[in-house]
Amino acid sequence: MRLGFILREAAKGLRQNIIMVVSVVLVTFVSLTFVGASALLQLQINQMKGYWYDRMEVAVFLCDDNTAAPNCAGEGVTDEQRTSIKQLLESNEMAPYIKEFAYESKADALKNFKEQYKNSSLVDQVTEDQLPESFRIGLVDPEKYPVINEAFSTVAGVDSVVDQRELLEKVFQLVRVASAAAAVVAIVMIACAVLLTGTTIQLSAMHRRLETTIMRLVGASKTTIQLPFIIEGVIASIIGGVLASGTLWLLVKFLVQDKLASENVGVAFISTNEVLLVAPGLLIIGIVLATISSVVTLKRYLKV
Amino acid sequence: MIKFENVSMVYEPKQRNAALNDVSIEVNRGEFAFLVGESGSGKSTFLSLILREKRATNGAVYVAGQNLNRIPSRRVPKLRRDIGFVFQDFRLLRERTVFDNVAFAMEVIGASRAQIRDRVPDALRMVGLEDKARRKPTELSGGEQQRVGIARAIVNKPSILLADEPTGNLDRKNSVEVMNVLDRINQNGTTVLMATHAHELVSEFRHRVIELSKGNVVRDEVDGQYTAMTTVINQDGSRELLTGEAAMEASSEAAMNEEKDERQ
Repeated sequence: MRLGFILREAAKGLRQNIIMVVSVVLVTFVSLTFVGASALLQLQINQMKGYWYDRMEVAVFLCDDNTAAPNCAGEGVTDEQRTSIKQLLESNEMAPYIKEFAYESKADALKNFKEQYKNSSLVDQVTEDQLPESFRIGLVDPEKYPVINEAFSTVAGVDSVVDQRELLEKVFQLVRVASAAAAVVAIVMIACAVLLTGTTIQLSAMHRRLETTIMRLVGASKTTIQLPFIIEGVIASIIGGVLASGTLWLLVKFLVQDKLASENVGVAFISTNEVLLVAPGLLIIGIVLATISSVVTLKRYLKV
Repeated sequence: MIKFENVSMVYEPKQRNAALNDVSIEVNRGEFAFLVGESGSGKSTFLSLILREKRATNGAVYVAGQNLNRIPSRRVPKLRRDIGFVFQDFRLLRERTVFDNVAFAMEVIGASRAQIRDRVPDALRMVGLEDKARRKPTELSGGEQQRVGIARAIVNKPSILLADEPTGNLDRKNSVEVMNVLDRINQNGTTVLMATHAHELVSEFRHRVIELSKGNVVRDEVDGQYTAMTTVINQDGSRELLTGEAAMEASSEAAMNEEKDERQ
């Protein structure tokens, strides 16, 4: 009975205050979209980082039948060459620099590739032969990459030495900046959303002062008096959160998955799965913020 | 039922004149009392303290045996369910019917539909509006609207009914109607405390009169008149307020003077 009453009052408030409610919905929508975008960019970094950072930081690619590097002489790496490279890696001179190393065969390379690019359509087209075998090296100090480069790049059977961290770092930096920018916009927009929700609730409370005065004096509980207003704010925020989630889903689906990912087959991109991960978070943020700003406003403007 | 023990109320610490100044008074169960006094004499503060809208700066206010300074905020709604309140400006919800306005007071404290169907007609019968349940407040006269307000105040069967100038917005005929309703409610055992400026009603309906002036109780009289002071018109045409006997003398003197004037 009372719950029904509270919900009816909340619905009435939403109707009476429709313009303000729409503005709360829109501001919440935009702010949560930025929050979500910032989170998705972070996930994008993690997506790439997760693969690379956990693995070796320096790759020593070995010669292939069709590589043209001077060390290879147009032939694939021989077993002898492979053993001597391995010995060099295990040698005392290299020991202070190398934390760990691992050999990655063509088959391993394909397996890792498939895992890393599982969101990409490229996976099905790549075969084992196209991927080089390599030694993956973890450095004690990643800054000491030049030492490794110097030691291995001239060894017979080595195609090239690549510091993958450095390559990725540039990309990461770019994405991080974008993520931070989105976060800054998100913070400003969230401040707007919180203030606007507060103002809306305040207006709604003023609008229904007659009801609340009567309720107060006939002995309605604080919950019965205040909950309709809080529900009003929360509903507006939930709508905003749903719109934000929907927008992010569409952006990732059509812009990232269908466009960026198919045009940049070599890069791992986030998918709509990540959006589904972020969406509940957005709704929770929306609900929590709306509740807080409603409660604070009511404390000031609605005597009980 | 309502007891003030050395109650003082100061709104601002530096304020020289307290809103209430060391007031001690008791209104018993089933009593009907008028609370009179000019604007700013402390009547509203008096009512607010009973409703625990405000807390006394000093002293203790007891309502239905509870010390209001001691009860926690969450118990305040429960206290107010035992107090009906009638507003000067009716405060009816325009979009709701008479029935729904009265039902509102029950809905918000969680009464069931069955209880509402059961009790609202009783309350409307008590104020003589049982045949207007389906009307909107705007279709009613002022006096009828106030009676809806009274029905709403009593529908939860409070033991105390507070009325803040309930006839303040009404003409004489409607005021008398409202007074009759309040009297009837009082006769059913409800304690009624009515703040008012309507001196002719007070003098006519003859109940206990508590007069406040500048935060002090200056008079507490059983079956009292609105004021013990009477306006006297002096010979030079100026007016002044005099207490009982002095006023009598002055008015008889004035009457004699008038007679003299006539004879001359």
